[in-house]
Amino acid sequence: MATAVPQTDHDLMLAVREGELDALGELFERHHGRLYGYLTRSTGDRLASEDIAQTVFQRMLKYRHTYRTDGSFTAWMYHLARRCAADYFRKKQAGPANMDPADLQDYADDRPHAGEHAAASDDQALLQRALNQLAHADREVLLLSRFQELSFAEISSILECSVGAAKVRAHRAVRTLRDLYFQLQKETTV
Amino acid sequence: MKCTAAQHRFSELLDSRHESPASGDVRAHLAACPDCQKEFAALKHTLTALDALPAPTPGPRLRANFYALLAAEKNSAAKVPRGEHRRQRLTTWRWILAPLAACGLLVLGFLAGQRQASLPPQTARPAAEATRQELAELRQKVDRMGQLVGYSLQPQHSAGQRLQSIFATHTLQAPDPRVIAQLINALALDPSVNVRLAALETLYVYADQDTVRAGVLAALVREPNPLVQVSMIDFLAAARDPEAAQAFATISRDEQLDRAVRDAARRALVQL
Repeated sequence: MATAVPQTDHDLMLAVREGELDALGELFERHHGRLYGYLTRSTGDRLASEDIAQTVFQRMLKYRHTYRTDGSFTAWMYHLARRCAADYFRKKQAGPANMDPADLQDYADDRPHAGEHAAASDDQALLQRALNQLAHADREVLLLSRFQELSFAEISSILECSVGAAKVRAHRAVRTLRDLYFQLQKETTV
Repeated sequence: MKCTAAQHRFSELLDSRHESPASGDVRAHLAACPDCQKEFAALKHTLTALDALPAPTPGPRLRANFYALLAAEKNSAAKVPRGEHRRQRLTTWRWILAPLAACGLLVLGFLAGQRQASLPPQTARPAAEATRQELAELRQKVDRMGQLVGYSLQPQHSAGQRLQSIFATHTLQAPDPRVIAQLINALALDPSVNVRLAALETLYVYADQDTVRAGVLAALVREPNPLVQVSMIDFLAAARDPEAAQAFATISRDEQLDRAVRDAARRALVQL
């Protein structure tokens, strides 16, 4: 019995480009969680990350005709995500936040729970703090290489640098993270 | 292998996806160097902890908003044909450019009329009285048809009526400058895509005339609809109009235009 072969991300996006907009639903289901994770860890702002992820998919629809036949969907998605994040924070800096108070109940409180405060010495909390202290460029390359399962060829395409430069940046970011992490561990044990 | 060189390649060992055959040298150095073992263990511990960080999960709002957005886009795509947005943006420009184009076409029509008038009169040839009368009747018929076409192509008539007028010109046996000017006018200024396409189709018969090609070229640079743009490019390419080469080159480089239009311009340049 023949089994249906799942379409690749690239095939789905080409279908979207040709007008089969429903194919974007499948791409959303495949990628929105990981994209949101990348944005949340990259920006440290859950509320902003939801808005930015929304904008990324909106731009995929708007600019679907620009998707290249020889492209990589994930590289294109993270490329859009970086631009959307940059635009979001540029606009945010330019003016005060405009939000309907009725929508507040939809959002989780970003501040650590009192219990989490008490467990600040917990390894994961320390590592998260170390990650937040990394320079944005270092955090970005680390997140792309460790959490998004992207090849260095794709990362170099997203960051617009050579493969060698992407590898060096990733290695440097890991070393810096290690130094920050160990430093925080020392501070909590003293 | 020195410690610095080995440590620069620790990332290969720490990422199973990128391990290369040359990693054996690094492993050999690591097995014999206590300092590098310590460094490697620290990096590995950091990355293991990093991989174990819980993945943040988005709220239901993201999915709900996405599917609302997708539904809106599908509705919009179903209602608005491609190129419609661009046409709407260009509406303002059309109000400014239309009178200018009308003046240009008037001059073209005048020149065409003068050229026609300078030709030696066909009726001067000796002919039988019956033939002369028949010719006079035919001319009157053509005159009436030209007036009818000109009148029916006025914008106050419906698009259907304007289309019928254009189809009526197919019955004309000889090219009449006024009819051709009206067709060029419709091609440049008529708000209906169908009327513009029908006018262009009709003008194919007269593509050997300089004024017709000049009129189509003038209309092309202002045309907002990609379908009509491609048809105009095909027209000028089929007519082998060298004057169009510059416009084709400009269109083929204009990223704002629809890709099909740019491709058509590139093909036309090759044809020329």
